Amino acid sequence: MTRVSLEVNGKKTSIDIPDNTLLSTFLREHLNLKGTHIGCDTSQCGACVVIVNGKTVKSCTMLALQAAGSRVETVESLCDDGKLHPMQRAFHEYHALQCGFCTPGMLMTAVALAKKGKEIDELSVRTELEGNLCRCTGYQNIVAAILAGAKKMRTQT
Amino acid sequence: MKALGSIGKSIKRSEDKRFLTGQGKYVDDINLPNQVYAAFLRSPYAHAIINRIDTSGALGSPGVSLVVTGTDWLKENYGPLPCTSRINTFVGGEKMKVPPRHCLAIDRVRFVGEIVAMVVAETKPSALHAVELIEVDYEELEVVTDPEEALKPGAPQIWDDIPNNLCLDFELGDRIKTAAAFDSAHYIISRKIKNNRVAGVPIEPRGAIANYDDDTKRLTLFNSSQNIHENRDAYAIDVLKIEKEKLHHVAPDIGGGFGVKNGTYPEPPLILHAAKKLCRPVKWVADRSESFLSDTQGRGQVSTVSLALTKEGKFLGLRVETVGNLGAYCGTIGPFTPTAGTARTQGGPYGFASIYYYAKVVFTNTAIMAPYRGAGRPEAAFQLERIIEETARELDFDPIELRKKNLIQAKTLPLRTAMGLDIDSGNFVEVFDQALSLTDRTGFSARASAATRRGKLYGFAIAPYLECTGGGSKEFAGITVRDDNKIELSVGSHSTGTGHETSFAQLLSGYLGIGVDSIVFFQGDTDRTPFGGGHGGSRGMEVGGSAVYEAASTFIKKGRLLAAYILGVENSRLQFSNGVFFVSGTDKSVTSEDLIAQSAGSEVINGEFGYGYLNVSATFEREIMSIPNGCHACEVEVDPETGGINIVNYWAVDDFGTIVNGMLTDGQVMGAVAQGIGQALMEESVYADSGQLMTGSLIDYALPRAFDVPNIRIQYYEEAPTKKNPLGVKGAGEAGCVAAPHVVFNAIADALRNFNIESLDMPLTSEKIWRTIHRR
Repeated sequence: MTRVSLEVNGKKTSIDIPDNTLLSTFLREHLNLKGTHIGCDTSQCGACVVIVNGKTVKSCTMLALQAAGSRVETVESLCDDGKLHPMQRAFHEYHALQCGFCTPGMLMTAVALAKKGKEIDELSVRTELEGNLCRCTGYQNIVAAILAGAKKMRTQT
Repeated sequence: MKALGSIGKSIKRSEDKRFLTGQGKYVDDINLPNQVYAAFLRSPYAHAIINRIDTSGALGSPGVSLVVTGTDWLKENYGPLPCTSRINTFVGGEKMKVPPRHCLAIDRVRFVGEIVAMVVAETKPSALHAVELIEVDYEELEVVTDPEEALKPGAPQIWDDIPNNLCLDFELGDRIKTAAAFDSAHYIISRKIKNNRVAGVPIEPRGAIANYDDDTKRLTLFNSSQNIHENRDAYAIDVLKIEKEKLHHVAPDIGGGFGVKNGTYPEPPLILHAAKKLCRPVKWVADRSESFLSDTQGRGQVSTVSLALTKEGKFLGLRVETVGNLGAYCGTIGPFTPTAGTARTQGGPYGFASIYYYAKVVFTNTAIMAPYRGAGRPEAAFQLERIIEETARELDFDPIELRKKNLIQAKTLPLRTAMGLDIDSGNFVEVFDQALSLTDRTGFSARASAATRRGKLYGFAIAPYLECTGGGSKEFAGITVRDDNKIELSVGSHSTGTGHETSFAQLLSGYLGIGVDSIVFFQGDTDRTPFGGGHGGSRGMEVGGSAVYEAASTFIKKGRLLAAYILGVENSRLQFSNGVFFVSGTDKSVTSEDLIAQSAGSEVINGEFGYGYLNVSATFEREIMSIPNGCHACEVEVDPETGGINIVNYWAVDDFGTIVNGMLTDGQVMGAVAQGIGQALMEESVYADSGQLMTGSLIDYALPRAFDVPNIRIQYYEEAPTKKNPLGVKGAGEAGCVAAPHVVFNAIADALRNFNIESLDMPLTSEKIWRTIHRR
C-alpha cells in the first residue's frame, strides 16, 4: 500500500491504495466516481478517458500512483451546480448518445479537444475520436454535437 | 384513439441527463455490502477431455471461499441451460439434436473459453489469482471450427451421439416448383456466398451480481440482460429448479445489447448458486477478453445461392442452400437464425413465384452463436443482393433496371411472399425511386471523374431490402397513478440504449394529453412487470409501444366513467379528445390531468370506484410480423495504392410505417448502418484451425471508428403505415444492419469492375482489396 495524493475534480484527496491500482479503478472503486467506465482491457475503447493536467488520458493505461500530485478531471466535473456543460448540452441536443456507456469518455475527449482552441471541422473531429469507440450511434451525431458544443464553448469564453 | 401532437415529434431524451453526468447505473456501478467476487477458469483448448481437476491450490489461496467444478455442479442436480428455438424438427420429422449445455464443462471442453471452474473470493484480484492455481489435466482432441468441414465424413465429432455434428436441417418454400422454375429459365447464375462471423461487442461487457435473502429464501440477480423474463424462467426453472417467483431479476442501465445480452449464459446461475451457498452477494463483470471468448457471436453462414431468370431479366426462382455455424452448443435460440431467421425474407421485395431455402445447422468447436442485430435478415439480404449484382455483371444487365423491373408492385398488395410473409403495406417502387433521386445520379459521372483524376477507383450501388420485425409477440404495459399526481408507466421490454424512457412516455403523453414530465418510466424488473418479451427483433415500439397504446385505451375507458361521476353526467354523453373528457355543447369538462389529480389519494373516489381504480395493466399481442423495407445506396472510393476504402456517400430511405420520434429513429438507422459497414469492411471473428480465437481483443477485432463511417443521409417513406398494430409502426432497430453490408460490398465491386473479385468475401479489408487489384 502506498499513499497517493492528488486533486480530483477540484478536491484534494489522499488515500492508501495497493501499488498496482489503475487510475480507472482508483476513480471508480476508491473515490466512487462511477462515471468513468471500463469497456475493454487493452486501452482501445476510450470509455475511461479522463483529463490529467489538461491532457486526455485513458485512465486504464495509468497507475493511480503515476497521477500523484496531478489534477484529474472526470465526467462528474463537467456539470456545474446542476447546470449541464455546453458539451453535455450539445450531446443531448444532437442525440449523441444511446446506451451512454461510451459517453463519459467521448465527453472528456470532446471537452479537451475544444479547449485546445484550434479550428475544428468534421474530419478533424473524426480523426481526434480515434481513441473512442461507440457501438450505438454510428458517430454521426457525436461529431455534430462536438462541433456544436465546441462552438458554444468558444462563444462563452 | 387519436393521439395528441407529441407523437411524431423528435422529443429529446429524458434519460440523457444521468448518462451525461456519469450517473447512469450499469451493473458494474452496483456494489452490495459484504459482496465477494467470482472469477472463472476458462478452457484454453477448443476440444479436450478433462481427466482431472485439482482445486486444492485455489481452495487454500487467501480469501477464497468457494470453488465449483462440473462434478460439484452435477451433484447439485442443476439442469442445463435450455434451447427454446421454435424451429426444432428435422425436415424428415426427427427432433433437433440438443446437447446438454451445463453451466460448467462436464468431463470435456468443446470451445476455448468454456467455463471449467468458478472461484469465489474476497476481492477480484484474489479470485483471479486463485483461478491460476487450479490444475487441470486435459487430453486434447481433434478440433473442427469450420461448419462445412464439420459435416464431412471423418470430421472430429463434437458430441458422441450427434452424427456429423448436425444439429438440425430445415427447409422452407416449394422445392419442386423452384426446380421447375430453374428448368424453364434462360439464365441461371450461382455463387458461393459467405457471411462473416462477427462479434456484437456492446461497449459495456456482460456482468451480474447475485444476492440471496435467507429470510425470504429469495434470490436477486442484477444482470446486464436485455431479456429479463425469459432469462429468469430459464435460470430459475430449468437450471436451479426453483419457482420463478423465487428469482427477482433486475436489469439496470444496459450499455448496448445487439442480441448479445438476449440469451442465457452460464455465469448468472453460477453466481446465484454461490450467493445461496455463501449467503453473500457475488459479483462478476467480464473483461473484454472474456467477452470475446464467451459472448455469443453472430452470422457465420456459407451459402450456395442460385438465381433463375428469363432472357429479359425477369426473376423466376431463387434457391439458397446454407450451412450455419452453431458453435459448440445450442444457444438459447441459436438454431433459429440460420433456419427460419434467414429463410423468411428470402426473395426480398422482388416478385418471385418460387423460392426454396434449405439449411444445415452445425456444431463446431467455437463459441456459441446467437441472433445478432438482424438475425438472419442481413444474411438473406446479402445472399440475394450479391447474386443480383453478380447476375447483372455477368449478363450485362443494368443493375438498377434489373432490380426495378422485378420489384413487387404496390397494386398487388396485400400479398403473401413465396416464403410466407404477409406484406400489407408499402410501395417498393416509390421507395426505390425516392432513394435513387436522393443519390443525385446526374452528378455521379462528375464525382467519379474527379476521383479518377486523383487516381482513385469509384463505385456506386443501390439496393432495396425487406425486413420482418416484431420479435417476441407479447408485451406488457402498466399504468399506476401515484399519490403525487405522477403516473408510473412500466413496460416489460428493456431499453439497451434505445430510448424507451422517452418514446414510451411520449406515446402515453400523446394519448392521454398529459405532460411527459408527469410520467415516470419503469423497466427491467420482474417484480414490477409481470411479463415481457425482451429486446430483440426490433420489437420495442412495434410491440411495446402497442402495449402502451392498449394501456392508454383502457385508462381512457375507465377514465370516462370516473369523469362522468365527477361531472355528474351520463358517461354515454362524454367525449374524449386532446386530453379532455367533455360533453359536447356544454361547459362540462375535465382533463386527464384533473382526473389523475382528483383520484390520487381521494377517499371518496376510492370508496366509490375502489382503490387504485385508474391503475391499468394491459397486454398487446401481435398476430403477424410487420414488414419494414427500404432502399439504401452508397458511393465508395477505393485507393488502388493501399486498398483503402472511403465511403463517400451513403443514402437511406426507410419505410418504418409511422415514425413516433424521428430523432430516435435516425439514431437507430445510423447505428445499425455503422454496424453493417463494420461487417462489410473490417469485422470478423477468426478462429485458428486449433480452435484458438485469433480476434480475442479490440486490438485484433476491428470495430468501426469515427473515421470509418460516413454521414448518412436519411429519409423516411411515411405513406404506408401497417395495419398490423395500432400505431402503424414497423420496427426500425435492425434495418440498417440488413441494408448496409451488400450495398457497401456492391459499390466496392462496382469500383473494382475491371478486376477479378470472384474470391472476395466480407470483410473487405484493405489488404484483400489491394491483393485483388495487384493480383497478389
